Amino acid sequence: MSRNRQLFLFIVVTFAFLFQVAVLPQFKLFGVQPDLVLVVAIIVAVQDGPVSGALVGFFGGLLQDLASPQVMGVSALSKALTAFLAGSLKDLFMTYSILLPVLLVFFLSIFELSVHQAVLVVLGQEQLPPFEVGMIVATAFYNTLLGLVVYPLLRRFSFPDKEDSFSVARR
Amino acid sequence: MPAAPRTNRNRLILILIIIICVSMVTLYIRESDDGPLHNVQGFFLDLFSPVGRAFTRVFSPIKDGFVNLVHLPSLSKEKAELEKEVADLRRERLEARGLEAENEELKELLEFSETQAELETVGANIVGQSPDNWQRLMIINKGSSSGIKKYMAVVTEQGLVGRIISVGSRSAVVQLITDSRSGVGARSLRSRETGIVEGRNEETVRFVPMKEDADIKVGDIMETSGLGGTVPPGIAIGRVSQLKKRASGMALFVEVKPFVEFSKLSNVLVIITPEPESVILKEAQ
Repeated sequence: MSRNRQLFLFIVVTFAFLFQVAVLPQFKLFGVQPDLVLVVAIIVAVQDGPVSGALVGFFGGLLQDLASPQVMGVSALSKALTAFLAGSLKDLFMTYSILLPVLLVFFLSIFELSVHQAVLVVLGQEQLPPFEVGMIVATAFYNTLLGLVVYPLLRRFSFPDKEDSFSVARR
Repeated sequence: MPAAPRTNRNRLILILIIIICVSMVTLYIRESDDGPLHNVQGFFLDLFSPVGRAFTRVFSPIKDGFVNLVHLPSLSKEKAELEKEVADLRRERLEARGLEAENEELKELLEFSETQAELETVGANIVGQSPDNWQRLMIINKGSSSGIKKYMAVVTEQGLVGRIISVGSRSAVVQLITDSRSGVGARSLRSRETGIVEGRNEETVRFVPMKEDADIKVGDIMETSGLGGTVPPGIAIGRVSQLKKRASGMALFVEVKPFVEFSKLSNVLVIITPEPESVILKEAQ
């Protein structure tokens, strides 16, 4: 990965984190807010591969851990694992369709929220039963909506010459 | 690069990330509140505080637009057009109005502060909120340099907001009363029945009375009891909105709607005197 690309991803994930903490809590729908950092990590994993995604997920998750007094490392771990999985799953499909990242955002949001909560339960930080299924599914839906906006944006910045099925369909 | 070595390298990086995260988690859990990782968190919050405040200000027009969109879905087309015109006018005057609203809120806070003469408070701005759905937290732009300590109560003129759970030198984290880990000693203003107000990560909180047959009615106002030693007594919490009698042996389910509108908060007061008993005890040790 080029230095320019590394700098670009650093700026994107930092911006996503600031937006997540300072702005998105005001954008709650049905009591939940989306997780922009996770959406960005998954989309980067789809575009740049599992390692880039995992590093973005780790860095973004670490920023979130630092900004809240919860156990440091939990968000970093769950987001890095999720993004790595996204990049690995993407390699199984040969498609530029927007459907793939969008579906990955939905299912992997459920995965990340479950892993995050499971780790907190194992650490004794969360009481059982912790899994609020409605909240997890609502967050996954909201993340998917956000993915529909973020994916074309990131793709435009990353590969300005290429067109995916989404941009073709819009013309 | 051939596929197999690349896969091995990817796995190695993932394992390295997992080891770093697990080490961080282990260290964090084992260390005290004054440990290095906790201090890093405090330092980061101080660093984030001014940036978060600037970000919140910059994006407030978008936020206001979103709130309008979510809350006005049932309006007719004609009304929507009229509202669009109003929204356009609002946008033009947004900065001036924002300042006006903030000024008004600060005035109300000052009046509230004057009525609570025995309480010494510090005003603070909200610069960020919890980044996930598991917690109900807010980050404020005042910290230990302003006399703020852990467990201090946070209020507005409407009532109790929460309490401080983490402090940096120029920032602090407030755990809202709606957070699922929050528990505050409370009582009914009418019947003086005592209990605990617990958060549920929802807009409402739950009052758990001490007695199974407690005299609680819908509409009762709940206030802090002072029991527990962190929040002073007599601060309004909310009004009982729902009451469910449970089977014998089970606690009465009392839903309380907080007076504070958390989604509209931008300024708060931290009660620094009297200090929470837990802080005094810790300092005495």
